[in-house]
Amino acid sequence: MAKSFDKSGTKFWKSLKDYYDDPEILKKKANEFNDGVTDDFDPDQLSKLSRRKFLALLTASAAFTATSCTDYRDKGEIVPYNQRPEEILPGKANYYASTCKGCELECGILVKTREGRPIKIDGNPEHPVSKGKICAKGQASILNLYDPERLSEPMIQNSAVSWKKVDSEIIKALKNAAESKGEIAIVSQILNSPSTLKAIEEFKKAYPTTKVYYYEFMGDAAKKNAWEKCYGSSSLPSVKLNEANIILSLESDFLGREGNYIENTRLYAERKDILKGTDFNKLYVVEGGMSLTGMNADIRLRLKPEYQTEFLLSLINELVSGNKVPAEFRTGEVLNTVGGYSLKNFASKHNLDENKLSGLVNDLVENKGKSIVFAGDTMPEEVHVLTNLLNEILGNTALYDFSSNHVKHSAPSSTEEIKQLVQNMKNGSVKVLIHFDSNPVYHLPADLRYEESIKNVQSVVSLSEFPNETTAISSFVLPLNNALESWGDSLVRSNVMTFQQPVIAPIFKTREKEAILLTWANGNAESYKFDIYHKFVQNNFKKEVYSGGDFAEDFNSVWFSALHDGFVELDGKQSKAKFNVSSVSGIKPSAKEGITLHLQKNYYLGDGKFSNNGWLQEIPHPVTKVTWDNFAAVSLSTAEKLGVTFNDMIKINANGTELELPVMMQPGMADDLIVVELGYGRKNSGEVANDVGFNANVFLKSAMASPFVLQAVNVSKTGNVYKLVSTQEHNFLVDPSLRDFHKIRKIIFEGTLEEYEKDPKFLKEGEKVLKGITREHKYTGLKWGMAIDLNKCTSCGICVASCNVENNIPVVGKDQVEVGREMQWMRIDRYYSGTPEDPQVSNQPMLCQHCDNAPCENVCPVNATNHSPDGLNQMVYNRCVGTRYCANNCPYKVRRFNFFDFRDHFADAYYQNDITALAHNPEVTVRSRGVMEKCTFCIQRIMEARQDAIREGRELKGTDVQTACQQACPSDAIIFGDINDPNSEVSKYRNHDIGYHVLEELYVKPNITYMAKLRNTRSEDV
Amino acid sequence: MSSIDYTQELPVVEGRPTLKEINELIARPLDQKPDKKFYIALSITVSMLLIGAIALGFTFYYGVGLWGNNNPVGWGFPIVNFVFWVGIGHAGTLISAILFLFRQRWRNGIARFAEGMTIFAVMTAGLFPLIHVGRPWLAGYLIPYPNQHSLWVDFNSPLLWDVFAVSTYFTVSFIFWYVGLIPDFASLRDRATSKVKKIIYSIFSLGWRHSNRHWTHYEMVYLVLAGFATPLVLSVHTIVSFDFAVSILPGWHATIFPPYFVAGAVFSGFAMVQNVLIFIRKIFNYEKIITLDTLERMNKIILLTGSMVGYAYAMEFFTAWYSGVQPEQFTFINRAFGPYAWAYWIMVSCNVLFPQLFWIRKIRRTIPVMFVIAVLVNVGMWFERFVITVTSLHRDFLPSSWAYFKPTIVDLAILLGSFGFFFTWILLFTKTLPVVSIAEIKAVNEGAQPSHGEH
Repeated sequence: MAKSFDKSGTKFWKSLKDYYDDPEILKKKANEFNDGVTDDFDPDQLSKLSRRKFLALLTASAAFTATSCTDYRDKGEIVPYNQRPEEILPGKANYYASTCKGCELECGILVKTREGRPIKIDGNPEHPVSKGKICAKGQASILNLYDPERLSEPMIQNSAVSWKKVDSEIIKALKNAAESKGEIAIVSQILNSPSTLKAIEEFKKAYPTTKVYYYEFMGDAAKKNAWEKCYGSSSLPSVKLNEANIILSLESDFLGREGNYIENTRLYAERKDILKGTDFNKLYVVEGGMSLTGMNADIRLRLKPEYQTEFLLSLINELVSGNKVPAEFRTGEVLNTVGGYSLKNFASKHNLDENKLSGLVNDLVENKGKSIVFAGDTMPEEVHVLTNLLNEILGNTALYDFSSNHVKHSAPSSTEEIKQLVQNMKNGSVKVLIHFDSNPVYHLPADLRYEESIKNVQSVVSLSEFPNETTAISSFVLPLNNALESWGDSLVRSNVMTFQQPVIAPIFKTREKEAILLTWANGNAESYKFDIYHKFVQNNFKKEVYSGGDFAEDFNSVWFSALHDGFVELDGKQSKAKFNVSSVSGIKPSAKEGITLHLQKNYYLGDGKFSNNGWLQEIPHPVTKVTWDNFAAVSLSTAEKLGVTFNDMIKINANGTELELPVMMQPGMADDLIVVELGYGRKNSGEVANDVGFNANVFLKSAMASPFVLQAVNVSKTGNVYKLVSTQEHNFLVDPSLRDFHKIRKIIFEGTLEEYEKDPKFLKEGEKVLKGITREHKYTGLKWGMAIDLNKCTSCGICVASCNVENNIPVVGKDQVEVGREMQWMRIDRYYSGTPEDPQVSNQPMLCQHCDNAPCENVCPVNATNHSPDGLNQMVYNRCVGTRYCANNCPYKVRRFNFFDFRDHFADAYYQNDITALAHNPEVTVRSRGVMEKCTFCIQRIMEARQDAIREGRELKGTDVQTACQQACPSDAIIFGDINDPNSEVSKYRNHDIGYHVLEELYVKPNITYMAKLRNTRSEDV
Repeated sequence: MSSIDYTQELPVVEGRPTLKEINELIARPLDQKPDKKFYIALSITVSMLLIGAIALGFTFYYGVGLWGNNNPVGWGFPIVNFVFWVGIGHAGTLISAILFLFRQRWRNGIARFAEGMTIFAVMTAGLFPLIHVGRPWLAGYLIPYPNQHSLWVDFNSPLLWDVFAVSTYFTVSFIFWYVGLIPDFASLRDRATSKVKKIIYSIFSLGWRHSNRHWTHYEMVYLVLAGFATPLVLSVHTIVSFDFAVSILPGWHATIFPPYFVAGAVFSGFAMVQNVLIFIRKIFNYEKIITLDTLERMNKIILLTGSMVGYAYAMEFFTAWYSGVQPEQFTFINRAFGPYAWAYWIMVSCNVLFPQLFWIRKIRRTIPVMFVIAVLVNVGMWFERFVITVTSLHRDFLPSSWAYFKPTIVDLAILLGSFGFFFTWILLFTKTLPVVSIAEIKAVNEGAQPSHGEH
């Protein structure tokens, strides 16, 4: 083969023949594929994957990829009951009676549970004091149970340990202390539970060097001390408020935050029911700040709190010297004390309306034995003594109910005792300090220096449900059960003992505080059993009540029926003691010139216990409508004098303590007065609570007799500006041209009782009959409607709280309230009329009016809101795209839009956890972002009642359904039912002469009837 | 200029250019590569667009809570912007259809551009109803389609009427615009040198051969479409005004709204067209086609519609007073003297006072001055919608629910983005399509039509 290659290996050919006959080429031609190439295509060696199979796999993997990219999270398995637990029927609620432990009132409650979890708390309807009502705190306290920031396991020096370890360490410390005669100090708030007190006794027996200190934060110590002085007994009777024709409140917010205000509201409102006639009571309020009670006053007089003593002295003198009272009180001691004080001089000095005052004197004299005088808890002892005297000389003691007395278990320790405790702590003689569900670092006056003294105590043990200022500096932190996880009992009123039973197993690794104490008392960490305190309460009841009482049945029957009812009635009668006249001698007014600082309780947070509860932080203050803050309330002219306006910061200096607070200008306040509410400014207490508002507790001083009224304080403008957030504008104050719109626009109708008695139809004078021009739907059969009696409503806000819980209303936070995005379906509108100095306040609960001609319905492009045949304005969340047109066209502005997914908003503290969602009502949709919502008239309750009626084969009646707000209203101002039934209660209100609809002339035909407020004032009063 | 001969119509196109010159002049921007200035302008508008897009992205992710809307004020910037842009979209079809029917020959120089602006403005406006809803992913619920839920839309709702009105208006305007473009596409096809362009223009010219029959049919279709579009010009803003007028809210519930809104829309539309044309005629040397006389005529319409709007403002006050309804009366007092008085007086001065300067001939014919006035008109018209929407809502029936509306940065970014969106389209338009109708300009060129005159 002549083959020639050049150096580069290129092949040369000489002719075509040479080229084509090249054997290599021929070989290549013979085989279609080169050597080796065909091997790759050997079908046997190919994958066995068929085309179909390949496509199937491709599809499957694409599908898997797609699904794995979604954010669906496996939320765990839903396992149906294999064997149904006794009592639980899925979808059906169970109710258990128990006791609320939110504050010292310890009301009887009824807890609604669904599938084993509590979802709603209402008052126990059979409880003789609560009568089915509880306060806003009680309503919202369900959120505390499911608060993810609760303490969840025992901690030593901030690291989690087992109960056994912490118990044995503490027992060791206790034993050491007892052996070395070192003090073991228990610091507790005052207790109303006989069993708890007994458990403490047990503990004391085991550790004899134990001393127990009780304190009370903003309690009624002055009142009790005064009672003791006047009557030699510290057990106060309750008051038959419903029998009082005249009520005089001296700085007493008995409808809002003092005493058993739920019971008070119920009894007060009984005498404001127009259906029962015109026998209304008449409420006089003499106060400095504007309180909830003050808003409801028929006649209100503005007076700085420190002048109450002089006012009472003058008033009593007027009665005594006018010979208008029994001779026994015209004795030397009384005359010596009150002589020389003239009501006339007092009135002119303090610029009080003399007409009103003489009206008051006449009313009191004419209604002897049928009136009652209250003095506020924040008033000094002498005011209470004089109040007791006034009630005595007017014969008002006839209204005292000695069959239901306030029981006194543990008196607060005296200031000296607490000082001694701090001293002992400081010098190291306190070996073990036990905070028994108390928070003294926050509650006790700062000048005691409690916080600093803790450092010298060897073992500091804090038992608490929530982290707080005290747990933050304790070496041992022990988590407690929520009240709904605990056993207990309570004796607040002498005639009724209330029981507490758990309605859910402890969610976290928590224990009852008494169980912990009993374990320690046993001296052995192993001795704890989950029912240790259950047994203890039972035995205690057996020993103390059952064996001494007159019970027909065996113990178990009595015990279980007591648990079922939630209480047992006792005979707690007490006889009336004689008034000790000498107690009034020597009382002199001690008012100083200058600006006064009045510290008050807040309305919804208690002593700070509820600070981490967003629902309560967000309920607007009943008077100012401010949320998420406390503030310095001042009158307009005082603000002017100080050169400040809304949101300006002022520095208050009282006895060397300084605090900066934002200003809130409050109409109707006495001049030269600042009112600040306590319970704010928490530290180390959770995401929601921390740094909300300002801690005005710093003004509390241990040495002062009346710590809540601080006279002659220095106030200065700081130039700083704060942002207070309220749900209503304050433009009424700034711009006089905006005043009285609520009357001009027929939002609020008001009159006096006198006018009504003269002509019951006086409100409807000149009323025009409105006629529709369209063919309107005829409602036959049942039609839902509501009536709200503004005579009874005190604007306490409990309906708002109840609605929040029932309808899964989200908490939106201060920043969103600031831009007007609060989500509450129910709100209470507050309007002022008259002058800013002496305003009349009108309140109006406002919710969806379920109009027959609802303007929201026709503007919705997608039919997401429409009308039911039984008269409900319905909202279909699924269909809603969120155009917000319905909200724009709603004249009542009751529609609420989910601008965000509000459950994202408190991502760290609320909602975004496994627990909080358990608080939701499973019958109510949790709304997503971009959806409109509003009051549904509790349609879930209507549906449930309807199902029951169908199952029982009967007609659904209007009385079968109670809305959440109606159920919670302590004054029964909300009535719900069938308005097509002429005999129903709601129809009676609807067709009453003083019933009216808001903005009636728009002809939207609302289905909520408001009963016009009739003020019990005479024409000569005003 | 001292004496005008009113016996003779002014020439619409000045300088009597030849047909070839017209072709060249109008097609020149399409022949040349975009210059640096174009890219600078485009980068500005695209940046604005992107800012808006980012703001919108955040809104979709977090919710409309990022805007200033609050409880009484359910509608804020998006609805204001929607009404504003729909208003801008009014001049185009009015110029091209109504003025066409009235045989206003001066419209020929500006009709194409105005129509283009209509399309882009309605596109911009159309974004807002979609994005303003709480759950935009469900906006399809607004369309009546048979579905397994047996759910139907609510034909009582003005928002639904809006959906139909705006989409119909857009469709008809678009077809009208396209039909007008066909002869021009053919002219461009005939003179195109690049193959790609030739194919594209061939497709869009639909086989147009400038034949007599084509022209006959074309004229008829154009006339019919003009007749069809004319009622739409009036109906769209009438229906947009129903969004407000059909409600029961004081300040919205007014029978004067439909004519008042239409006048306002024409007013703002003309101002916007005038503004943009001032640039176009300068940049592309169209001074002889879009003459000062044309601009002056537009200014006269601005003056007329501005006065109508001013009349409506006054009449609203009168109606409120005459109604005897306190909430109604208060709404208007509150507009003029309440917390939003600043917005009200911006509106009044921009919409009523400044356009009155157009009574002066000198100002009507001075480009910088008329430009400024037209800008103010658009500012004023935006504020008009703001005043109507926000001030009526923020203080309505129940004083307990009053609140002040404050826009957020996201609101402003989306407003900016809408301008970016609009002007990006405008810029692309100037480089891809003839912004003046070639055929129509030829028709109004001096001597183009047979005449009995000596000239």
